[in-house]
Amino acid sequence: MKVFLIGAGLVGATVVEALHRDHDVTVVDFDQAKLRALGQRFDVATAQATAVSRGELVAAGLGDAQLVIACTSRDEVNLVAGSFARGAAAGATTIIRTSRAEYVELWREGYLEADFVVSSELETAQAVSAAIGMPSARHTNSFADGQVQVAEIDVADSANTDVRGRPLREAQMPEGSRVAAIIRDGRAILPKGDAVVDAGDRLVVIGTPGSARRWCELVAPRRGDVRDVVVFGAHELGAAIATALVQSGLDVRVIEPDVARADQLAERLPEARVFRCSGLDPVFLQREGIARAQAAVFAIRDDARNLFAATLARVHGVPYTIALAHEPVAEDVYEQGSIDVTIDPGGVTADAIVRFAHDPRTRQLDTFEHDRFVVLDITTRPDSEYVGMSLREMPLQDALIGAIVRDDKAFFPRSQDVLQAGDRVIVFTEVSRAAMVERVL
Amino acid sequence: MTPAAEGIGRRERLGVDVSAALNLVGSMVKYLGVSALVPVVFAVAHSEPAWPFLAAGAVVSGGGLALQRSTRGAAEEVGVREGYLVVSLSWLVAAVYGALPYVLAGDPQLGRPVDALFEGMSGFTTTGSSVVANVAELSISMQVWRQLTLWQGGIGVVALGLAVLPRLRVGGKQLIESELAGGGVDQALSGRIRDTVQRFWSLYVAITLVGFLALAVPGWLGVKDTMDAYQSFIHTLGAIASGGFTTEPRSIAAFGGLTQWTVVILMALAGANFALMYRALVQRRVRQALRDDELRLYLAVLVVAGLAVGALLWGDGVLHGEEALRAGIFQVTSIVTTTGYFSHDYDAWPTAALMTLALLFFAGGCAGSTAGSIKMVRHVIIARLLGREVVRTVHPELVRPVRLNGAVVDERTQLAVISFVLVYVAAFVLGTAVLAVEGMIRGPTTEVLDLVFAAAATLGNAGAGLGPSGTRGSFAPFGDVSTVTMTLLMWVGRLEIIPVVVLLRRSYWRV
Repeated sequence: MKVFLIGAGLVGATVVEALHRDHDVTVVDFDQAKLRALGQRFDVATAQATAVSRGELVAAGLGDAQLVIACTSRDEVNLVAGSFARGAAAGATTIIRTSRAEYVELWREGYLEADFVVSSELETAQAVSAAIGMPSARHTNSFADGQVQVAEIDVADSANTDVRGRPLREAQMPEGSRVAAIIRDGRAILPKGDAVVDAGDRLVVIGTPGSARRWCELVAPRRGDVRDVVVFGAHELGAAIATALVQSGLDVRVIEPDVARADQLAERLPEARVFRCSGLDPVFLQREGIARAQAAVFAIRDDARNLFAATLARVHGVPYTIALAHEPVAEDVYEQGSIDVTIDPGGVTADAIVRFAHDPRTRQLDTFEHDRFVVLDITTRPDSEYVGMSLREMPLQDALIGAIVRDDKAFFPRSQDVLQAGDRVIVFTEVSRAAMVERVL
Repeated sequence: MTPAAEGIGRRERLGVDVSAALNLVGSMVKYLGVSALVPVVFAVAHSEPAWPFLAAGAVVSGGGLALQRSTRGAAEEVGVREGYLVVSLSWLVAAVYGALPYVLAGDPQLGRPVDALFEGMSGFTTTGSSVVANVAELSISMQVWRQLTLWQGGIGVVALGLAVLPRLRVGGKQLIESELAGGGVDQALSGRIRDTVQRFWSLYVAITLVGFLALAVPGWLGVKDTMDAYQSFIHTLGAIASGGFTTEPRSIAAFGGLTQWTVVILMALAGANFALMYRALVQRRVRQALRDDELRLYLAVLVVAGLAVGALLWGDGVLHGEEALRAGIFQVTSIVTTTGYFSHDYDAWPTAALMTLALLFFAGGCAGSTAGSIKMVRHVIIARLLGREVVRTVHPELVRPVRLNGAVVDERTQLAVISFVLVYVAAFVLGTAVLAVEGMIRGPTTEVLDLVFAAAATLGNAGAGLGPSGTRGSFAPFGDVSTVTMTLLMWVGRLEIIPVVVLLRRSYWRV
């Protein structure tokens, strides 16, 4: 597919990383340095152009594109570039990134001409909400209208021996779930019945939301649900996160040093308690009982500050910390530090965008472990050679069907279950195998 | 002389466009004279002299017209700055108009200009305090004229509250600015007043008609202790304006329980925000209207304080059962809505009940009603502000905006509300002090509660006095200094003080 990408920022780079292997990608930006950096890392064409100039975009090859992604950091630029694309590249799919949830609403109501409008704020807020909803999981996401939950969980030393230290076929696993992968030493093992789960492993579990939760309790015991969250930082992302958490009924406190931003959020979100301070003052943390919050989200724009604040919060006793990572390197640093879950706003936005470069039958995808693995939600072709085969018979390599949605009902197949035409499947595989999986199913 | 100096002109010292303000005052008061025709009808029917009303009408309409003519060519649009002058002058002119027939007719109880001006001001500010010791001795046409001044004042007060004061940024009123008050925010003052009066005029008349029927129909059906048609007419005008003038020496105590409950409902309606009533009754958005923070506090105060006073009376053995509760709710409603009627002889009530009533003088009805005093919306804001400050002492970093109906009340508005309440209390203290000094020198009273009632009732446009001016008396015994003071209190209280205070500042007049 010919992909025309406008904007080589963080989101753009993540999209390029996901698409460069299988697609013909052209990246356009005004900043020559960013283009050079991208061009050195990936096999993509780059062109310097102003995104609001139709002539320059066309000269860079907009006319031939089949998929146009406008993902600069400025909404207006993306809207203008998107409208050029609809004229210049007739028939191409256009995707517009926005920082305002309002534009997503407008698009849903049909006021914006685009095939998809994605908001980093909304995607990030949803990812944080999901993480808060399942505090023991490193990463989690829901598929098929919430019927299927995918969770990546670290197996703790204190894991229940019902599942730890014994072959899977003997383990007492929660009803309605499958172990999609065991990640050990950075490699994924698609488990057979004789595989043994041990402390230090990372499990990828696909199941009902309830069973995913039960898995968390089994392998990473923690106290119950999070009801009380502190959000550090009230920039656009922090504000969107606080709003989403309030909407899911949590008790939310927000800490923001900037007077104008603190006031603005307090006005917009009466249900949250907003504190105007840095949150780095131990006296304040003590007095307001921040340590007694069950979780803290660090949405400060500076990764180093996030880590500092999170470490301080951990010192004061906050049990569960989630931080946004803006720099690519932050995820590794966070993992060494006191942050339980890292969420990469560029990455979650890219996930929402990248889906359009996939087969149109792919409704949703979710990447994790530094974009090495992917879960696809894909509807099988009637003429797929796999239709009519049981899971055991399938020669599907390095991929695992974790759930099947048939007649809008999800179930979690065993090896003797047979795939039918029109089934929607939730598949776990490596990113590099995703295209193959889409081809055969 | 150099060419440049020629074009500079002379130095302007006056920053207020006085002629434009006078032009607007003239264009409004010229219509006032028409209302004098109503008592003329009654005068002719009862063979009483009609000329004082005709003369008063001619003077005010002629004067208005002359004022408008003499300032012809003045700017048509009046700015905020001139607005203070316009409202202050308008109510002064209206009070003089109200007083003219009393003086011209040489009424034995109202003939002195000081007394007549008090009565006229009391009418047009919908206060209802009266210097008439024996209302039964007034001629029919004078009785009607007194009620009519109240009723005219009422619609003026609604327009003042909904359209004018918000524009003048008085006492945090900008936060109750109603989109129903006509025009855009930038519309000229005269246009806003006209639109507002036009919009609420029919509602005002409709409520008056319904009130008249509600009072009169039981009498026609033969129910005892109810009002006849004339009494219903008189008391509807008095209640809808939250005024309080009556033709009965015993006020509403002259009537039975059914009539008293009906008057309670009329007074409660008059004390509710007209924009809200318009929304509920005309636009049929009842649910939205009932969610209003101010309305909720208003109704809660009426019920809770009414029951509390009723319980005090019952417990003290003054009254029993339904009558005790009725008396409590009636008197609380009368004072909170700043009407001033009474259903029982409260002069003899226990001090605890009287203290409660004295405090309620500072409550006031809803903004945008015919009621006066501080008003519920300001109490809502101040309560929330105080609540916020208490929370802040424990959580200094917490950001918690003060809200009214969900919208954030900005700091300027909060300050305006606080300063209004402080100025209001200051005016009350000053007024009480003057009454106390004159009371000490020549009477009629030095009783603290009597003085508090007199000052609070006039400043809050409530009208109900205690002691010499109480249920068995009138404001007649007060000396001239006190009478003039209370006339001023009614005037500044009605205009919410600030517009008058502004006029006293040099900076108001200077360029």
